[in-house]
Amino acid sequence: MDFITLVSLLRMELLLTAGLVVLLIYKIFYEGARDKMAGWFTVSVLLGTFLCGIFLPAEGGYFGGMFITGSLAGMEKSILSLGSVFIILFGRTWLENSRHELEFYLLILSVLLGMFFMISAGHLLMFYLGLELATLPLAALAVFDFNKSRSSEAGVKLILNSAFSSALLLFGASLVYGGSGTLYFPELNSAITFPASRGSSFLLLAGFSFLFTGFAFKISAVPFHLWTADVYEGAPVPVTAFLSVISKGAALFVFVAVLYRVFPLYSETWSLVTGLMGALTMVIGNLFAMRQGNLKRFLAFSSITQVGFLLVGVASASQLGHAAVLYFMLIYLFSNLGAFAVVSVIADKTGKETLSDYRGLYKTNPMLALALLVALFSLAGIPPTAGFFGKLFLLNSGASSGMIYLVIFACMNMVVSLYYYLRVVKAMFVDTSDDPIPHFNSGLPVKIVLACSVLGIILLGFFGGLFDYFTSLTFGLQ
Amino acid sequence: MNPITEYTFYALSFLSILSGLMVIFSRNPVHSVLYLVLTFFTIAGHFLLMSAHFLAAVHVIVYSGAIMVLFLYVIMMLNLNKQPEGWSNFLQGMFWVFPSGLLLITLVGVLRAGSDMMTGAGKNIGTVENLGRVLFNDFLLPFEISSILFLAGMVGAVMVGKKES
Repeated sequence: MDFITLVSLLRMELLLTAGLVVLLIYKIFYEGARDKMAGWFTVSVLLGTFLCGIFLPAEGGYFGGMFITGSLAGMEKSILSLGSVFIILFGRTWLENSRHELEFYLLILSVLLGMFFMISAGHLLMFYLGLELATLPLAALAVFDFNKSRSSEAGVKLILNSAFSSALLLFGASLVYGGSGTLYFPELNSAITFPASRGSSFLLLAGFSFLFTGFAFKISAVPFHLWTADVYEGAPVPVTAFLSVISKGAALFVFVAVLYRVFPLYSETWSLVTGLMGALTMVIGNLFAMRQGNLKRFLAFSSITQVGFLLVGVASASQLGHAAVLYFMLIYLFSNLGAFAVVSVIADKTGKETLSDYRGLYKTNPMLALALLVALFSLAGIPPTAGFFGKLFLLNSGASSGMIYLVIFACMNMVVSLYYYLRVVKAMFVDTSDDPIPHFNSGLPVKIVLACSVLGIILLGFFGGLFDYFTSLTFGLQ
Repeated sequence: MNPITEYTFYALSFLSILSGLMVIFSRNPVHSVLYLVLTFFTIAGHFLLMSAHFLAAVHVIVYSGAIMVLFLYVIMMLNLNKQPEGWSNFLQGMFWVFPSGLLLITLVGVLRAGSDMMTGAGKNIGTVENLGRVLFNDFLLPFEISSILFLAGMVGAVMVGKKES
């Protein structure tokens, strides 16, 4: 009986673990066998967790409250699984040249498993272990281009920075434990009193600020973003896509949950700080994205800007804001991964990744150019695409919490960001080039990804029931 | 406290302070490392006296076994065991003041709060049996997840470290 509860509650995690074990055994017995089985197997495992999280989310806690899951956690895990499916599909062109295709899938699965445990954590130790499992293998993924020195540089920078931010988080956790005497999230929530009468409140506040800083590192909000650009540029394109969408998404989900569930009493403070951080993040991301000629680096900085917009929703400290963050994350996944898929396949087939190379792309590869157009429009937030609705809800949540200046500021930044998104569109459609990217066939997996992301971008905006559903899943401050 | 425990405690303390001092005052880095290993062993002895068996074993295995051997290899491979210019150089800069000051503050704090701590913990809290119980009851899930963490780390390390042929 006990065993059955365990299996049914941890079904998504156990599915991933089983996938990991099967891949390991496959690696042992079929070393060097070059067939497509492993890739499709991983994709089907991930699709399994995706469907499981949407249609069969488990509800409840186990291991004495260390593991807590529900429909919100299920939905978040599904979003992350879906993104990983896209990345594996469009990364296959690049993986074909690698000897370590299987290890790539293994590492992706273990990273995802770590994120699942991080999202379901009911205890700071569990959260920390999940976080480590979600970052350590990423460093190995970042060095995947063994013959490029920039790739190893990216790996080293990633591991040093994540070690540093983990150290901050751990220090914060130890101070929080010192101040409250517990590491379980629900108990922590009730241990925090404000305004506190005892000396423990200082420890708690100090611990909270360290935890906050650690999170800010993970989502690369300004002023903790300095590692992002180099890592994103050096890492292979699919890994960069993973870092900028999946990793950030997971960290952000947990960030919101911890802020709203555990530290609601500090909401005045963290709402202000998050709002300021969001404003800074937008400006800095915009300023840097404007100057980039390399499409990969450009997408990296634009993803920093998008985090700035997401922080507006976080700062609103309301149920509406929480739902908007979830909704925007899903849309951002479709748009950013669509853009990355195009950049990745062009880089793999032709080795070109600067803006001037993209001139006249529409003449030679109309479908790729159109897909990139839709993705960029959605990232910029132009009305018929879903990106517009995502940003609308984020700003709406900010406005309904009374942060009018922040919302106005965010709107101005949206206008600024239009400039550099449209610059890419202009290069593809208006400019001509003597040496355009030749026509090529991008292959079935990439076509699937592009079709899905374009459909998602167009349909999600009109499918309004989804936002209501997200609102019913999420929670504001208690 | 029975007298044997007490004498063992004093002997161990004397040894650990002595070897700790020798770590600093040895001119040869290899000797320093060897004294540090001795210090770790005496500290493990202290853990045993406090009936923290598991901690003692881990201390010997991890610190003396793994970390210090690594230090020794690094020093030997980098060929650092030349005669240094003397430790007076080290003391001339004022770098040591800040960490030493921090340590002093911590020590004073611990000594002032020490009387509370002595009565606080249960007698057998550190035994292997109790630790196992906690690990496999309250912390079962984190324990299992750390195995996957090691697995993923191993896959990554082997993949990066393996020679391309």
